[in-house]
Amino acid sequence: MILIYFISALLISVAIVVLRKRGIVRVLASLFILLQVLLTVYAFSHRGETDLKYFTYDHLGVLFLLLLTAVGTLSVYHGFIYFRYREAGRFCYYHAALVGLIASISGAYLANDVTVVWILVEATTLTASVLIYHEKTRTALEATWKYLFLCSTGIAFAYMGILFLSLSLKGSDLHGLSFGTLATLASSANPLYLKIAFIFVFIGYSTKMELFPMHTVGIDANSVAPSPIGALFSSALVNLGFLSIFRMYKALSGSPIYEWMNHILILSGLLSILVAGGYMLKAKYPKRMLAYSSLEMMGLVAIGIGIGGVGPYAALLLVVVHTLVKSSLFFQMGQVNRVLKTLKLDESGRYMNLNPAGALVLLLGMSAILAVPPSGLFVGEYLIFKQMVASQQWLILALVMILLCCVIYGMATRVLHLLFSGPYVQRDEWIPGRVRWTENIGQMIFLALAFLICFYQPPFLVELIRGGIAGIGG
Amino acid sequence: MLNLFITLFAITLFYFSISERFRTYSVLIAVQGILLFGLAFLELKQVNIANFIFIAAETLVFKTFVVPVLLYRIISRTGVYKVHTRAFPSFYILIFTMVGLLVSIILSNVLHAPNVDSVYLAIALFTLFTGVILIVTHKRIFSHMVGFLVIENAVFMFSLAVGSEMPILINVAILLDIFVSVLIIGVMINRVGEHYSDLESENLTRLKH
Repeated sequence: MILIYFISALLISVAIVVLRKRGIVRVLASLFILLQVLLTVYAFSHRGETDLKYFTYDHLGVLFLLLLTAVGTLSVYHGFIYFRYREAGRFCYYHAALVGLIASISGAYLANDVTVVWILVEATTLTASVLIYHEKTRTALEATWKYLFLCSTGIAFAYMGILFLSLSLKGSDLHGLSFGTLATLASSANPLYLKIAFIFVFIGYSTKMELFPMHTVGIDANSVAPSPIGALFSSALVNLGFLSIFRMYKALSGSPIYEWMNHILILSGLLSILVAGGYMLKAKYPKRMLAYSSLEMMGLVAIGIGIGGVGPYAALLLVVVHTLVKSSLFFQMGQVNRVLKTLKLDESGRYMNLNPAGALVLLLGMSAILAVPPSGLFVGEYLIFKQMVASQQWLILALVMILLCCVIYGMATRVLHLLFSGPYVQRDEWIPGRVRWTENIGQMIFLALAFLICFYQPPFLVELIRGGIAGIGG
Repeated sequence: MLNLFITLFAITLFYFSISERFRTYSVLIAVQGILLFGLAFLELKQVNIANFIFIAAETLVFKTFVVPVLLYRIISRTGVYKVHTRAFPSFYILIFTMVGLLVSIILSNVLHAPNVDSVYLAIALFTLFTGVILIVTHKRIFSHMVGFLVIENAVFMFSLAVGSEMPILINVAILLDIFVSVLIIGVMINRVGEHYSDLESENLTRLKH
């Protein structure tokens, strides 16, 4: 199935570039989404099976594939709307790159081999760069340059990490370095090598996870890329970074460096929340603020993994709900831009009067992302705090709580200003854009799911998360 | 012979730290390409002919010829010839580079890898440090790009140090690296150089808050 998927995705991508006509591109993009759904259904119903030697439909892969398919579908739909108001010029390149990006992310989610993951993560850098540069502005160029340069440098570091892994496993060949093999051999490997390997891989993939120390590129990319792409970056691509690090962490958790990895994750998580809290207090653009919110959330996720106990379960729950909420907010940003004709906070305001349905999405999304009950994120954060109390990590608990106050203040004041206050800076005469209320349906469904998870976590979700974290710590 | 190539490679790294002209950087990248081919030729024992052609194409065609030519194009197109703006004076960069070499030697001895020649490992690590030093201590984007290419060379050298063969997955990885390098240089030539003629990274600061 995975081979058919990759070949079909490649053919669709090439056909989009060759055929170019808007109607045909729409059909081909829709066809790709159908293919994506088929792969997801197949992966779900064939859990535990391996395809093409390098791809396994394991719990983690299937969970993230489900999320990607949901966000990807909505991303393609909002992409069609995005282009309704723009020239057709780069329509085909946009969709060809989007197909390439979703296919690369899907492959990386399912890959069971360290090197294959690396190759597919590198492929996402290439396709994502095309999408970031889409609007061809100077800021887009700056973001593309930084993304391409820093991601490639980071990924080169990750590759050094993989080579160190190979060294630590006493000459194991790189073409046999699956996560399973790694988990088996890690306990007898040289801990110093494993530490170096993990730190390189962690730094490299943190470019994708948008986690300290390499968070800056992702933030620039999220704030500059078209909103449907920002939604995909801040959810599916961030999840890819998380999954790449988490798989490595899980494989090495049976080795003597387990505790050391936990310390690294907690430290990086704390620094991520610190940076996010600081920047959110002075954010001037709502998309950039949302990107910093992803940094904060990934920081919490890293801490959740690092504290152990119920933490990893809570962290995966946070990732799931964050994907639903953050993508909804980014999709909504596209509407904000169309209605207010600006994305500067100083020039924005009274969104509730101009687009009530969209404003409701923004208000609910803000409550959900700030983990206000009944948001699903509340459950995840509650479990993480509970674990911190149980393991008596008072300092971390206090620091996280103080920093989260900054995040909550920064985001709430800005979103409420956007919704209810008048603009601080008056612009020349402008006519508000119009948005159909039906465009909000997908975002509303995502938010409803995010709230539902607070009360009811479906058995398949619990099974996928539990299966995903099984085996941590050897 | 192997040690000679490794020593020459280390000398090119020192030369990076004292060079004042971008053209010298391009020449050094070409020289490193030739040396990497020599190292691959001597080091890889279990390599089939297809893989060998692939590696030769990567080192001799791409690293020695294509990339330096593209770098020359950027230099002539932008008219920026000298390194000039650095975050630190040359002397300090040389000191950093020497410290990098010292740290690499110490690390390679501490690591004491059973399957890898410690000299090889030390120089691979030194190459990585030099790439990072080039990126951190220079303000011009051109130097950053050269730093990235040096890091790519470090990765290539390290893959040679680790395995006596090059499996297909590594080749695919290298192929992707080539794509990325060309893409970065392409963006540099066609777009960044067009908009930011002085190639100062300080100009790339529109994205704030």
